[in-house]
Amino acid sequence: MRKIHLIILIAFQLSSFAQNKEILYNFTSIPQSSLVNPGADVSYKYYFGIPLLSGVSVNLGSSSFSAYDLFANNGIDFNDKVRDIVNKSSDKDKTHVNQQLELFSGGFRVGGERSKSYISFGLYQEFDFLMYVPKDLAILGLDGNRDYIGKAFDISDFNLRAEVLSVLHVGFHKKVSDKLVLGGRAKIYSSGANISSTRNSGFIYTGQTAGTPNIYSQTIASNLEIRSSGIATFTKDEYRGSETEDILHNTFFNGSLGLGFDAGLTYYFKDNLQFTASIVDLGFVRQSKDIETLTYKGTYTYEGVNPNFENPDAPRNVLAEFDKAIPRDTLYNKYTTWRPVKFYSSLQYSFGESRYGEECNCRAPSKRGYANSIGGQLFIMSMPKQPFVAVTAFYKRSIFENLDFKATYTFDAYSSKNIGLGLSGNIGKFNIYALVDNVLEYKDVSKANSVAFQFGLNFIVPDSD
Amino acid sequence: MKLNFIRRMPKILGAVFLFASCSSDLDFDQIDDLKLEPVYVANLAYFDVPANKFADNGNAEEIAADEQPFKVFKQKFFKDNLVKAECDFELENTINRAFSLDVLLFDNNNQVLETITLDIPAYSGGSNIIKYQTEVFENQRLAVLKQTVKIGFTVRIASGAPLNSSSSGNLKLRSSATAYMLIEVE
Repeated sequence: MRKIHLIILIAFQLSSFAQNKEILYNFTSIPQSSLVNPGADVSYKYYFGIPLLSGVSVNLGSSSFSAYDLFANNGIDFNDKVRDIVNKSSDKDKTHVNQQLELFSGGFRVGGERSKSYISFGLYQEFDFLMYVPKDLAILGLDGNRDYIGKAFDISDFNLRAEVLSVLHVGFHKKVSDKLVLGGRAKIYSSGANISSTRNSGFIYTGQTAGTPNIYSQTIASNLEIRSSGIATFTKDEYRGSETEDILHNTFFNGSLGLGFDAGLTYYFKDNLQFTASIVDLGFVRQSKDIETLTYKGTYTYEGVNPNFENPDAPRNVLAEFDKAIPRDTLYNKYTTWRPVKFYSSLQYSFGESRYGEECNCRAPSKRGYANSIGGQLFIMSMPKQPFVAVTAFYKRSIFENLDFKATYTFDAYSSKNIGLGLSGNIGKFNIYALVDNVLEYKDVSKANSVAFQFGLNFIVPDSD
Repeated sequence: MKLNFIRRMPKILGAVFLFASCSSDLDFDQIDDLKLEPVYVANLAYFDVPANKFADNGNAEEIAADEQPFKVFKQKFFKDNLVKAECDFELENTINRAFSLDVLLFDNNNQVLETITLDIPAYSGGSNIIKYQTEVFENQRLAVLKQTVKIGFTVRIASGAPLNSSSSGNLKLRSSATAYMLIEVE
């Protein structure tokens, strides 16, 4: 039980949301923008991220409740809060946490002065947690079945996945022509721990039907499967180590391996009309270390104890029958998990000449001398029940030669008024950036349904140096 | 002016994060107050015996008996968390003889913990269904109930015209249990 507390607490405290990096996307003065579009129009002679500080991002989101709803110190009974949340949630509501930490990153131009080809690489750690509100099962736990005669409690409401992994990546992008930038990135995943239970089905039913032998008709049909890798060891009584240390060690040195790809492009219809698209994390992990899969599969109809007066020496053990009908099985088969695939696209219109373009030509050519850009972005991410979709409008401006600003307005399942702000500035050759999502909620962050922030520090030597 | 702004940038960024730190007072220890109080209903026991299975000679006597395992309280979940139980019994008799049913709760040593006796008169046309008063198990009676590992059923018939293989009617038992749980974290 303690462990469950810990997981819930971590989920709420680390929570950053939805993995949509709408502020970073196409914010090309930040080299990390090529992590969300390997075909972003980024250029440099070389750069490296300040280790551990180049990219720190946290996203937390919960579509039907906030940390405040659950943990506010306001005298309302905790059980009432839980009940309220369950009542106002649907089985499509979810809690999502994504955290990334770049350990190192860098990039360089290849092929000499005039070349427009770039390589970038790095290693980052990622934690991802997604759980749908198990509404029906929560009702069954909170209220029981007495007041729900005739209702089938849906077992598919139990739907979660979580993973800790490290990602080693190498990307390449090239300005094929004045109009087109193409890029791709290969990734090796090393997953330290994975738990996945996303394809469950079945129901728990109590009804009253005429013609049945006893008062209720009661059936459990269960097709429940919980797959885990890198976790089984910790659940054993003999385990004496430290989970955190072991998971970290496994994540970097002894994980389940996987492969993935990103691809992207930037295309200029005109100098000031730009289109981009990217697909990120098209990949899988072959879960192969410390595997344990639990299944509860079967159907059982319970009618009650039934004396047999004709043959009194034939007792029936109802509980044993249940265990036989829906056995708990443990399997040790390797399995494959797909990474959540992200798709981004944007259309951007630029206007207003940059005052800095003429006096100094050191700005990245991608700026093309415009001070302002407006446009729209689309984000789609695969999720077990239905894809997560977000639409963003943005405004970008070069405030000074070395300072870029981007504001976003995003509409998604978590919020319809998510305003994000991002700043990227250069001090000498140091690039510092900070991106904050859902700024309206920061007046009381505990009431936010989603919060995301990202910051980082890089050392960049520009293309023109 | 430009330079000034750049110098001020770290401060501005700092302010953004300070701004971000505003939060209502949260108390995560509340999770220890979590207390689930679900109420579950379930079938308990049933039978449906036709009159022609009860062969007798017309005297009052015990004519059928059986015992069945009832291992619910071997489950820690029920043993620890059940705070109150109710049992509802219902008999329907369409046989023209009166019956009496004993429901017996046995413990591990085969000792009878409790006997619940249900009487029903002979069928004389019309409806002959009795819903008995709810048996409520709380406190001491609940503690005794939790020792149950076996349920016994004893059917006694009152005197009357003997039954044979062509007698009509049935004796039916239907019953349910309501379990009041209290599940506390830790």
